[in-house]
Amino acid sequence: MATLTAQQVNQLATRFLEVAQEVGNYRRQQYNKLTADERTEMKELESKILDYSDTLYTLSATLVMNDVQTSLTSINSVTTNIKTTYKTLQNVQKAINVAASVVTLGAAIMSQNPQAIAESIGGLAQTWET
Amino acid sequence: MKTQFCKTGLILILLSLGISSCVNLKHVNEFSASSLASLSKFEEIDYSFKQNCLENCQDSMINNLIVSQTDCNCANDEKADSVTLVIYQALKGYFDGLTHLSDNELTNYKMDPLNNALINNSFGSVKLDKTEVEAYSNISKIIIHAFTDGYRKQKIKKYITDANDPVKVLIHYLDLNLSSNLVGKIDVQKQRIGSYYFDLTKDSTISTIDKRKAVQEYYLQLDKIEARQNELHTYSKALAKIAQGHQVLVDNIDKLSAVEIREQLTQYSSDIQNIVSEFNKIKK
Repeated sequence: MATLTAQQVNQLATRFLEVAQEVGNYRRQQYNKLTADERTEMKELESKILDYSDTLYTLSATLVMNDVQTSLTSINSVTTNIKTTYKTLQNVQKAINVAASVVTLGAAIMSQNPQAIAESIGGLAQTWET
Repeated sequence: MKTQFCKTGLILILLSLGISSCVNLKHVNEFSASSLASLSKFEEIDYSFKQNCLENCQDSMINNLIVSQTDCNCANDEKADSVTLVIYQALKGYFDGLTHLSDNELTNYKMDPLNNALINNSFGSVKLDKTEVEAYSNISKIIIHAFTDGYRKQKIKKYITDANDPVKVLIHYLDLNLSSNLVGKIDVQKQRIGSYYFDLTKDSTISTIDKRKAVQEYYLQLDKIEARQNELHTYSKALAKIAQGHQVLVDNIDKLSAVEIREQLTQYSSDIQNIVSEFNKIKK
């Protein structure tokens, strides 16, 4: 059996709402002409149709999930790729910073200053980790 | 002399390459950033399917003078909220990524750390001249910028094209849930309230003064309900603009730098920003 789509259920909900509005408007306009029983009956009918409409709107909103599944997978995959590219481009700055630390370390080694070498190694490690 | 001329020429070519690639993505970034800003207004909508369900349930208990029943079953409405949230988050993730990736600052690499390292250190007998280091560094920067920007542009084109169909579908369904399903439920609530207060005005056991108070209460409730609906309709307008703007991007994917496209996208960004202002006014 074919199942209804979110869009179709939404349309049904709107039709139910329109019917309830018609019933409600009729009851109000003809209020003085209706008997007490007729008023109660029409009020209950309006309320029941409104309940159906309300339930159908919620149902339509949950059924949306069936219609968006593929699109969600696609967009999430694009977003992951975007993040990867972003990270790659960010890494260029990291590479420049690492190069700067390597140059400082090289100069420290050439100067044969143990303290400068230790500081440069620390600096390089820090740059690498950021 | 000839070498100097060649050097200058090369620098000029690289400089123009760098500047042109910088300009091309600016409008994509502006459009994406304004789309992200208006999309994020979702988080300021302080109404949901669950809240609507709870209000209906409480109204029903008050109208029927029920005090014993305390539980309102809103499980389906909670589910509707989660579906809506999942769609919103997927769209937000995409526009957030696109905004960051199209930001020209991303490839505006800072060469200062390397320059300083080269200038401030001596390498045995070799000490580098500051002017020379800066000149080479500038050329390197332009080359890196040109290549990374080319790569970035190419990737962005692919991502925008790949994302267009899912973006359209997701925007359509996010809109369906908010401006049609949730607004529909609010219409149902409006009808219920109207019917309830009408009966109060017809009740012969209630005094005219109390009836007037009830009518006043009705109009206050109606204002509140309609403000919610306006908020959702304004959000819906922003969603439509985002979808249209994204389509313009895709349709002109191969001429991202063309003046007309820039103008169109700037117009979309401006329209979206106006809708955001409209939304903010409703919220006040």
